[in-house]
Amino acid sequence: MSEENWIEVGSTDSIEEEDLIRFDHQDKTFCVYKLTDGFYATDGICTHEAVHLEDGLVMDDEIECPMHQGIFNIKSGEALSPPACEDLKTYPVKVDNNKIFIKID
Amino acid sequence: MKNNIIILGGGQAGIYAAREIRQNDSKSNIKILGEENLLPYERPPLSKDFLLDKKKEEDLCFHSSDVLKNENIEFENISITKVDFENKKLFTKNDDVYIYDSLLISTGSENKKLTLDNNLKNDIYYLRNLEEAKKIKELVSNKNKITIIGGGFIGLEIASSLSQLQKKVIVIEIDNQLMGRIIPKQIADLVQNTHIEHGNEIILNKQIEKITKKNGDYEILLNDNSLIETDFIIAGIGSTPTVKLFENTNLKLDNGIVTNQFCETSIKDVYAAGDVSNFYHPLYERNMRLESYQHAQNHGICAGKNIAGVKTEYTSIPWMWSDQFNLNLQLTGICNDYDEIIERGNDINNGVIYFFLKNKIIRGACGLGIAGKIGRDIRITSKLSEKNTIVDKQILSDQNQKLNKLIQK
Repeated sequence: MSEENWIEVGSTDSIEEEDLIRFDHQDKTFCVYKLTDGFYATDGICTHEAVHLEDGLVMDDEIECPMHQGIFNIKSGEALSPPACEDLKTYPVKVDNNKIFIKID
Repeated sequence: MKNNIIILGGGQAGIYAAREIRQNDSKSNIKILGEENLLPYERPPLSKDFLLDKKKEEDLCFHSSDVLKNENIEFENISITKVDFENKKLFTKNDDVYIYDSLLISTGSENKKLTLDNNLKNDIYYLRNLEEAKKIKELVSNKNKITIIGGGFIGLEIASSLSQLQKKVIVIEIDNQLMGRIIPKQIADLVQNTHIEHGNEIILNKQIEKITKKNGDYEILLNDNSLIETDFIIAGIGSTPTVKLFENTNLKLDNGIVTNQFCETSIKDVYAAGDVSNFYHPLYERNMRLESYQHAQNHGICAGKNIAGVKTEYTSIPWMWSDQFNLNLQLTGICNDYDEIIERGNDINNGVIYFFLKNKIIRGACGLGIAGKIGRDIRITSKLSEKNTIVDKQILSDQNQKLNKLIQK
């Protein structure tokens, strides 16, 4: 795992617990979440229709799309409820010196 | 015990019921009888992304034939013409017989048709299924001025799509507001403004007196004697539950098939779910009939559980959406039974929501915003409404304060 692939998102206190922030990098959008057991990252756009998940509701380990209520598991990316049927891509996250990094391939 | 379970109606409620039964019952035979020669598919895109060519026919099915095969769920394209509840039999017009132990009726609803006194029946188009959507998509390609009769969800979604296809669109609505059956006027007016900004003409408070065909085009005479010239007419004037098959049976009907909170009808071992069911909702302590995506899915799942012997009350809070232009409209709960209204936000770019409260408890909310902007708050509202939470009105009305903090865990 080379260091160059890890992209800094921001400080750990930039996200409230059980919430998310949107992170744009180059031409892609990601969501970075703070759950009770740590930080997680997924693609930032719903797989059903092109809408930003940043406005969605985080409950437990799930993110719900704000437009049509498709639900994804944040940790696995699994599509849990229609109209979402395609899984959401997830990304590794690490914390170093109170800073969050995600690994983008 | 191995049962024969038949699901009459191959729509969303039917397929979700079938899969839920299988989750709880690995043995029984499950067969869906559908009138369309297509596996259950999503209808919301028909008036939007399908017309705009952003979604194809093959993108619409809920589940592939492989999923059904893996779960041992049969789908048969057949039309039932007679039911014998006493002997638990269904008949086709050729007298083929289907015998069931448990029956789920999920026949959905069908479009109301305009009453016209001349021979124009084949000239007015309606949109409910894929065939109709394909027909409209093909025919409007060389039309320019299209009139939509009925300013409800379906009419306005089509109006939005056709406007995006550079068509001149006129919407005629009999009521004094758009989407008046369920959407509060405050939100309906914002939607109306958006249509007008995009060039659509909205005519309210007018009835159709007469439609005349002239050289392949049409003249629509309204009750104020104004005349609209148009080259294509689509009507979306509401729907009725599909219950004709049961009219001369013992099944209790009243604006659909009357069911209790367990999806059970008045006849033992016969259940109903989705648009066709007028169901008892324990939270609102009354019966209601809903026509929405979320309801079809959740009601189907609830029926599936009950058929499989997992006794489950249906307590889902109503929720529906409509996408028009770049706006997303959502409604949760019921918005016509309130003693106080609270507004949150005043700019559709950030989202506008009206909350409807009764005795300090949120009964419903309706919002409009650029795609995604109101979804989280509407969803939280559903949860608050479900738990009968007394809310801090200050937080509700202040868009800078997150509603998450109102949820009691």
